[in-house]
Amino acid sequence: MAQESLEGRTDEDDGLPETCLSFELRGEWGHFRRVEGNIVKQTYRIIPRTTVAGLVAAMLGLDRDSYYEAFSQNVSAVAVEPIDELRAINMPMNTLSTAKEHMTTMPSRGHARISMPDPSELRQQHNYEVLVEPAYRVDLQLANDDLRNRLQDRLRDGTSYYPPSLGLSEHLAEVTYLGEFEVTPHERETTDVDSAVLEAVDSVELTPETEVKVERSPAFMTADEGGRTTTAFQSIAYATGAEPLRVHDVKTHEVDGRRVMFS
Amino acid sequence: MSLLPEPSTFEKRYSDDEKLASELPDRPITSLRDLQYVYGRLYTLATAGGGEYAAYLTPEKSTDLFDEPESLLYLRIDLSGNKPRLDPEQPIGVESYGEEKVEAVAHSWFNAAKGFDHSVTHRTGKNKEPEKVAEYLHERLTAWAADDVIQEAVADHEDGWIVDALAALGESEGLRERIETAVDEQLDGKTTALTTVAVKLDSDGEYLLPGEASSVFNEAMRARKRSKLVSKGEATNSIGEATDLVTGNRGPTVGTAEDPLNYFLGKQLEKFPGFDPDEAWRTHPVSEDVAVTLMNARTFVDACDYYTMGANVYYLPYFFGRLQPTEARELYRMLYAVVREQDMTPIQHVYQQFQNDPALQEYGERFRFYVAAVMEHQTKRFDVFGDTLDGSLMSPVELIGSHIDVLESPLFDVHGDAERDTPELRPAFPAPESWDIFVPSEHALLGTLATGWYFEQTFAPADDDDASADDYRIRALVAVLSGEPLDVETVLTEYVERLLEDEGEEFPSFRVSAQYAQLCALAEAGLLTGRDAYKPVAEPRQLTHNHTDDMQQDTPARADGGNVAAARETKLEQFLEQTPALAEDQPERRGSFLLGALVGQVTGYQQVSEGRSTTLIDQYPIKAVTESKLKRLASDVLDKNIVYSRENNMAGTMYSEVVDRLVTTLPQIDIDGDWELDTTDLRFYYSLGVAYGMNNWASNDDEQADGQPATEEEEA
Repeated sequence: MAQESLEGRTDEDDGLPETCLSFELRGEWGHFRRVEGNIVKQTYRIIPRTTVAGLVAAMLGLDRDSYYEAFSQNVSAVAVEPIDELRAINMPMNTLSTAKEHMTTMPSRGHARISMPDPSELRQQHNYEVLVEPAYRVDLQLANDDLRNRLQDRLRDGTSYYPPSLGLSEHLAEVTYLGEFEVTPHERETTDVDSAVLEAVDSVELTPETEVKVERSPAFMTADEGGRTTTAFQSIAYATGAEPLRVHDVKTHEVDGRRVMFS
Repeated sequence: MSLLPEPSTFEKRYSDDEKLASELPDRPITSLRDLQYVYGRLYTLATAGGGEYAAYLTPEKSTDLFDEPESLLYLRIDLSGNKPRLDPEQPIGVESYGEEKVEAVAHSWFNAAKGFDHSVTHRTGKNKEPEKVAEYLHERLTAWAADDVIQEAVADHEDGWIVDALAALGESEGLRERIETAVDEQLDGKTTALTTVAVKLDSDGEYLLPGEASSVFNEAMRARKRSKLVSKGEATNSIGEATDLVTGNRGPTVGTAEDPLNYFLGKQLEKFPGFDPDEAWRTHPVSEDVAVTLMNARTFVDACDYYTMGANVYYLPYFFGRLQPTEARELYRMLYAVVREQDMTPIQHVYQQFQNDPALQEYGERFRFYVAAVMEHQTKRFDVFGDTLDGSLMSPVELIGSHIDVLESPLFDVHGDAERDTPELRPAFPAPESWDIFVPSEHALLGTLATGWYFEQTFAPADDDDASADDYRIRALVAVLSGEPLDVETVLTEYVERLLEDEGEEFPSFRVSAQYAQLCALAEAGLLTGRDAYKPVAEPRQLTHNHTDDMQQDTPARADGGNVAAARETKLEQFLEQTPALAEDQPERRGSFLLGALVGQVTGYQQVSEGRSTTLIDQYPIKAVTESKLKRLASDVLDKNIVYSRENNMAGTMYSEVVDRLVTTLPQIDIDGDWELDTTDLRFYYSLGVAYGMNNWASNDDEQADGQPATEEEEA
């Protein structure tokens, strides 16, 4: 099974298909590092859109930094619905220092070298905020037929090129295919939204019963010579207990009898 | 003292809604950075009246020095001659710093353990020796004026020569010694001060402080502050084209902006393979303008931060959604008050304002807080023990309300005998006035809660002085402030650990009592969760039930103690009925509690009537209680009780209300089967029983009137 590349594919401009692929992501743990912190290790509660793209790319075995175009605006759409209550705990972990003076490069000369921390050094304990049993339903539209078909095959067969994980490689993800569903757009209206609410925080109805939480995470990325950058962040609202939120005057889509918001 | 304008001045200046709205972000606050940006924006709006450098200066950092003696020290440098020189007559100026000197001193603070502030003016550490002060003064020339960034920035400035002259003077031989001697002569001793320079440019002119002398000082300061946005630690030039994470605009972004909470620093590689500090702008992209604004949030952020149990607790108020002009003014008013008066925690402040301001109350659910507890291991290593953007003021306030209800219920009845409807018997648990946790005042309790003292009084103490992720007290504090429920199993573990530490010469009944008050209040406020066997512990007690009505019913007097015994019977019956954790289908927990109650009851009797120093509780300490021993302990204690009853020539058994229930509960415990409960749980309820039993006595007058056993009277 060779790693496949996206080079040379230009069939992405045909617009989004009328269906989406839906799958469930679950794991014992998850950690989606918030961009505000590198010293501290806090996690997003809702899997960021860029992470969904990365996870799908991993399942398909796409090259690093090669897939951002395929998941960009107009050629892809993602809706994420938290299925279970979103809960996080603090997990202290022992880590090695990655300061320059503590890094060893092996072998010491030559082209193919890797840097790694010295494993004989003392560990430092750091607190990681970790999601406990995170579970999401992802509805994904992809304009790229080839990618979509390959993903559908992977999902049906339950196979993956790289092991899918929830944020960090040690937090393995369980992926369950739910099927291919029609996507029916709805005009602006006031409705209960099952998925996380995107870019409509001000339109969410606040009630004492449902706790509405917000976060802002990366949504789209692009590659350049030096690496990659985020091209857009998005604001997300969700209910801690995974209940639907009532949102005023928003454009939604119907998928499998549910109301979701795509970005 | 603060330099921020009064809220009324702020409101007047920004009374035009449209104009103010154009200065505020056009999207809702949905991240910590958004919130810091809003704070920085408000600060800049409030202080920018000071001119084009206002956003770069940090006068708030030294308001504590206002009017302090020897708080402004400067080198008096004569630049009017051919060669720069220290004033031969009076080389050092010593003054008291004050509000009128803010602009002249033009201080721009920089958060760095080593190194110097952005401005030529530098703040010393606390209480420095004259020798150290002299070093700071010398460094204005050798470090600041000679710095590459500063030299480069002033190269094209018409007054650039001033900075060059200062650097040149710094090189001169023996200068350091001369400064030291002068400082020694002019300073009384240790001091905390702003150190700077004053220059004389004309031979017949005055010595002028940096802000008065030339814009070159502020230009250089601004350049230095900007340079720190792109270089820090391992990073030398972290700048690139990306999308600003606050505004969403594309443009040049910088990677090493100062962050008032220190969540993002330049150097960690960690989970990012190949992470290069120079590429930090990729992972944390902020534009230069946003970066400076974030830095300006520091005054407000610092005011809303307080230290407790080894951690910094941040409690930052804001409004959900896009900030409206009216809310911006409201927020400024609030932050202003927090900055002005540092005697209260921000929670108390905000609550006070909330109570006095109906407009604020109308925001309801939209009025929120960012809450975090951050622990600083070393200067550059932090851990966060929980943070949330969704804290609500109502969560701590409701908990306090529940706590007061519990204290005022018949369980504790903090209002004293005289006001009690049933003076013949004491409340279920003691509530000594000297313990803060038993003071039924909303204001006092909110302070007790906010500072963490609420949990420090009940939870196990930390292993060492440093905060750690294992310190449940901090996690509990953050959870309560943000409305997250606590796990009841962990809470009980903390309680029992604390009791075992406390249990020395005497049984810690006040501690148990405080813990129980807290447990009830947490349950009542919906801040406890428990799975399986712990579920009933997390349920609130039925406090609404009217205790007095039942107490006044005619319960027949009993042989073992007349009316007092009858009242005891009713009290126990109700206590058990109202406590979901002690229901009849919870025989293990119920048995532990009843065993404890009997031990406490008999211990009280032994202490008061027998005058014994070694009592039943000494024989059966908390740590003696385990699942396997529970039944045997119970039968031992029951035996003891019977012996005492006989010795007293009583018709029945002493404390039969407890004995009867214990005897019926014990057989229900299936000792060989699966024990549902943890030892911790048993031990807590055993302790609760002991505290209950020990507090279950009546005043002597009542006992005589009710015809207590003769022996008790004689020996009492």
